[in-house]
Amino acid sequence: MLRAAWLIFLNEFRLLTKDRVGLAMLILAPVVIIAVAGFSLGNIYGVRPAVNAYDLPIVDQDHGAAARAIITALSRDPAVHLERAQSVAGVRALVGRRSRVPLAIVIPAGITAALEAGRPAELVLYVDPIKRIEVAAIELRLSRMCTEITARAQDNARTRISAANAELRVRLERLATLATTARSAAEHFRRESLSRRDAAQRELDARLRSATAELAAQTRVAAERSAAAANSELERELAPRRDAMNAVRVYLSALQASERDFNRWLANLKAAAGSHSADIPPPPAFPRPPTPAQLAVLSKPIEISPPATALPEPALPNLSLASLPTPSVAIPDFDAEFKPLLAAPAPTLPGALGWTELSAGRGPAQANAFDQYVPGFGVTFLLIGMMMGISLGLIDERDWGTLARLRASGAPFAGTLLGKLLSRFVIGLMQMALLFAIGRWLFAISLGSEPLLLLIPSAAIAFAAAAFGLIIACIARTHDSVMPFGTVVSMAMSAIGGCWWPMDFEPGWMRAFAQWLPTTWTMQSFNDLMIRNLPASAIVWPTVATVGLGIAYLIVGIVAASWIYD
Amino acid sequence: MKTLEATALRKSYGDRVVLDGVSLDADRGEIVGLLGPNGAGKTTTLSILATLLAADSGSVRVAGLSPRTDRDAVRRKLGYVPQVIALYPTLSALQNLALFARVHGAGHGAAAAASAHALEAVGLAPRAHDPVSSLSGGMKRRLNLACAMVHRPEILLLDEPTVGVDPQSREQILLTVKRAAESGAAIIYSTHYMEEVERICSRALLIDHGRVVAAGTVAELISLGGRQPRMEIAFKDLPTDGWIAGLEGVSEIEQADAGGRIELELASLAQVSEILDHARQSGGQVLEFSVHSPNLSDAFIALTGHALREDGGGGQ
Repeated sequence: MLRAAWLIFLNEFRLLTKDRVGLAMLILAPVVIIAVAGFSLGNIYGVRPAVNAYDLPIVDQDHGAAARAIITALSRDPAVHLERAQSVAGVRALVGRRSRVPLAIVIPAGITAALEAGRPAELVLYVDPIKRIEVAAIELRLSRMCTEITARAQDNARTRISAANAELRVRLERLATLATTARSAAEHFRRESLSRRDAAQRELDARLRSATAELAAQTRVAAERSAAAANSELERELAPRRDAMNAVRVYLSALQASERDFNRWLANLKAAAGSHSADIPPPPAFPRPPTPAQLAVLSKPIEISPPATALPEPALPNLSLASLPTPSVAIPDFDAEFKPLLAAPAPTLPGALGWTELSAGRGPAQANAFDQYVPGFGVTFLLIGMMMGISLGLIDERDWGTLARLRASGAPFAGTLLGKLLSRFVIGLMQMALLFAIGRWLFAISLGSEPLLLLIPSAAIAFAAAAFGLIIACIARTHDSVMPFGTVVSMAMSAIGGCWWPMDFEPGWMRAFAQWLPTTWTMQSFNDLMIRNLPASAIVWPTVATVGLGIAYLIVGIVAASWIYD
Repeated sequence: MKTLEATALRKSYGDRVVLDGVSLDADRGEIVGLLGPNGAGKTTTLSILATLLAADSGSVRVAGLSPRTDRDAVRRKLGYVPQVIALYPTLSALQNLALFARVHGAGHGAAAAASAHALEAVGLAPRAHDPVSSLSGGMKRRLNLACAMVHRPEILLLDEPTVGVDPQSREQILLTVKRAAESGAAIIYSTHYMEEVERICSRALLIDHGRVVAAGTVAELISLGGRQPRMEIAFKDLPTDGWIAGLEGVSEIEQADAGGRIELELASLAQVSEILDHARQSGGQVLEFSVHSPNLSDAFIALTGHALREDGGGGQ
C-alpha cells in the first residue's frame, strides 16, 4: 500500500508538471489577486502622499478667517490635492465625472461670522455616493481638521476672555471704590435732608395753626352777623301769621262758648218741652269759620332769605420753605467705567465647525450598498459564467468531437461560434435582469428613473464578456486550465473595473489599465443609472466603450479560435 | 467519375510526414476499407476527406466537387463518423440526431422523421429519449454512426466505428454499414480489424506510415501475402513416415515436435478432410487440428514486415 501511495504521490507531481497553466496558476492566481486587492485597497490602510492623493475641489464663498484656516489646513494635507474653484455647479459636475474626486467642499458665506458668534457652522460637502469609502476617508480627515480649527479658535477665544476678565476685574474694583464714596455722600445728604425737613415741618405747623385760629375768629363774627339778620327777617314773616292765628283762636273760643250755650239751651228746651220736644225749632246757627285766605296764610311756607353775609377772606399763611441745601459731596463718574464695559461685546467661545453632506448628482447622498454590490457581483458572476461557459463549452466540444462533427456536417466554425456566443449573450442578459429583479425584491436596490435602461449596460457587458470568453478559450486550451485561469481573470477584471470597490482606491497605473476593461465602463453605467440617477445620455459613452472593447475581443477571439479550433 | 476520389494526398507536421501520396477512390454502393495499424495515417486521411483538415498537396473530388472551392456542398454530401464518440452526453439520442439532421439542413419535421429512422436503423429506438451518458459504449458507437447517416449522405466516412464495442453492437454497426452501401452510399471504412474489412469491404487499401502499401480487392490483397492455407494437427499416435506422399500440393512445414504436433501447408482448404483421412489410414490418431486460411493480416505482415496490431507511429 505504501508503495502505491508513493507512486501515486510521484505521479501527481508528474501530472502537475504536464499542466503548465495549472502549475502557473498555483502561484500566479494568488499573486494576481493579492496584487489587485493590495493596490486597490491600499488606501484603506493609509494614503501614500503624492501617489494616491485625492483631488479636492473647493469653493470659498465666505472669504473670512475661518475659510482661510480651512483652506490652509487642507492644502497642508498630503492626502488631498486642493483645487480652488468659483462655481458650485462646476465642482458638483467634477464629482463623479472625474476620477479621484470623491467629493467637493463649499465654504458657505457667513461661516466665519457664525463661528465667531459662537454658533455652529457647517461646510457643505457634495459627495459621490458611489465613492462612499473615499468620502469617509476624506471626511475623517475633515473631521480632524474641523476639530483642530475649532480647538485653535477656542484657545484664542479663551485667551481673549481671560484678558477681558482681568480688565473687568480692575474696572469693578474701581467701581467699588466709587460706590463707597457715593454711598457716604448719599448718607450725608440723607442726614442733611432729614434735619432740614424737620425744621421746615415745624415752621409749617406753626404757620398753619396761626392761620387756622384767625380764620375761625373771622368765621364766627360773620356767622353771628348773619344769624341776627335772619332772626329779623323771620320776625317780619311771622307777625301776620301770628295775627291770623289769634283770629282763629278767638273764633274757636267763641265757637266753643256758643256750642256750650247751645247745648245748655237745647237741653233746657227739650226738658221744657217734654212731650213737645219734637216741636222744638231748629237750633241757632254757629259762627262762621275763618276765611280761606286766612287759612291760606296759615299754610303759607315760611321763606327765610338769609342775609348776604360776606365772610371775611382769610389771609393765607406764607408756607414757602427755605431751599434745601445742595449736597456738598460730588457724585463719582460711573459712566466712565460702565460705558466701556457695556460697549464691549460679550466674550463667547467660537462655535463648532462641522459639515453637511449633499449629493453631487441627482440621487441621495447615502446610497444603498446593494446598489453597488448587486450589479458589481452580478457582473463578476456574469464574467465567470461567460468565461466558463464559452471556454469550457468550446473545449468540451473539441474534446467530445462534436465540434469537428458540426464542421463536417456543414456548420461553419464561425456559425458555431456565433451560436455559442449569442446563446451565452442571451443567458448573460437574462442573468443580469434576474439579478436586478431579485436585488429589487430582496435588497430594495434602486433601478434608477428608467429601469429598462439597465438592460443596455447589461447587454454590453454580456457581449464583451462572451467575446472575452472566446479569448480565454484560446489561451487556456484545456479543461483544467480554464478553471483557474478564467476565474482569476474574471476576478481581476471585476476588481480592477470597480465591481467590488470604487476604482478611485486604485493607483493611477491601475486606473489607466482599467480603461481597457469593459467592467470599468459597465460599472460606471450602472452607478450613473442606479446611484447617481442620471439620464440615459450618461451611459452613451460607457456603452460605446464596452461594446467597442467587446468587438475588439471578438475579433481577436475569432481569429485565435479559428486558428486553434477550426 | 468516381463518387469520391483522392489523389496523392500529402500531409506533414514539421519534419514528420503523416501522409505521403495517399490515393483512393470509392463509388456508389462500394465499401472501401482503409486498413492499417494505429498511427498509419487513416484518421488523417479521413479528416482530409471530411474537409476538416487541409492536405499539403494532392486533391480530393467529391461527386466531382472540390472541397477547396465547394466546401459546403461537399459537406452536405458527406457523413463523417469520427473515431471518438462525438455526441452531446447530456442530450438524448433523439436530440443528438435531430441536431445534426438540422445542421445538415433538414427542417424540423424532416429532422424528426430522419432521426427516428436512423435510430431504428441502429437498433436504438427504445432508447431514443435516454441521455447519451446513460447508454452503453456499444450503443454510443451505434448512435455515433447514426448521427453521420441521419441526412442520408452520398459518401460515408467511418473512422474505426467499432473500437471497443461489444459483439452485438459490432454486428449491428457492420449490418448498418452494409445496408448503407446497398442503398447507394460510397463508404470509406477505416479500421485495424482485418476481419471487418474481409467481411464488408469490396476493396481495401493497406496503409502504413502514411503510404498505401497495397490496394485492391480483399482476395487480391490476400494473395499479395503469397501464403497458402496451413493446417496444424496434434497426434496422440503419429502416422507412419511419408503419410502425406500421396497428397498433392501438401508439404510439411514443421516436423512433429515432442508434443506430436505437425504443421502442413495446403494447396487449398478443400484438402483438409482428405489429409485427416490420410493420417488415420497411416496409423495416426488425431487429437485436434486447426486450419489457418491466409488473410489480410498475413498480407500486411508480408508487405510491411510487422503486424496490423503493432503501432505504426506515423499518423495522427
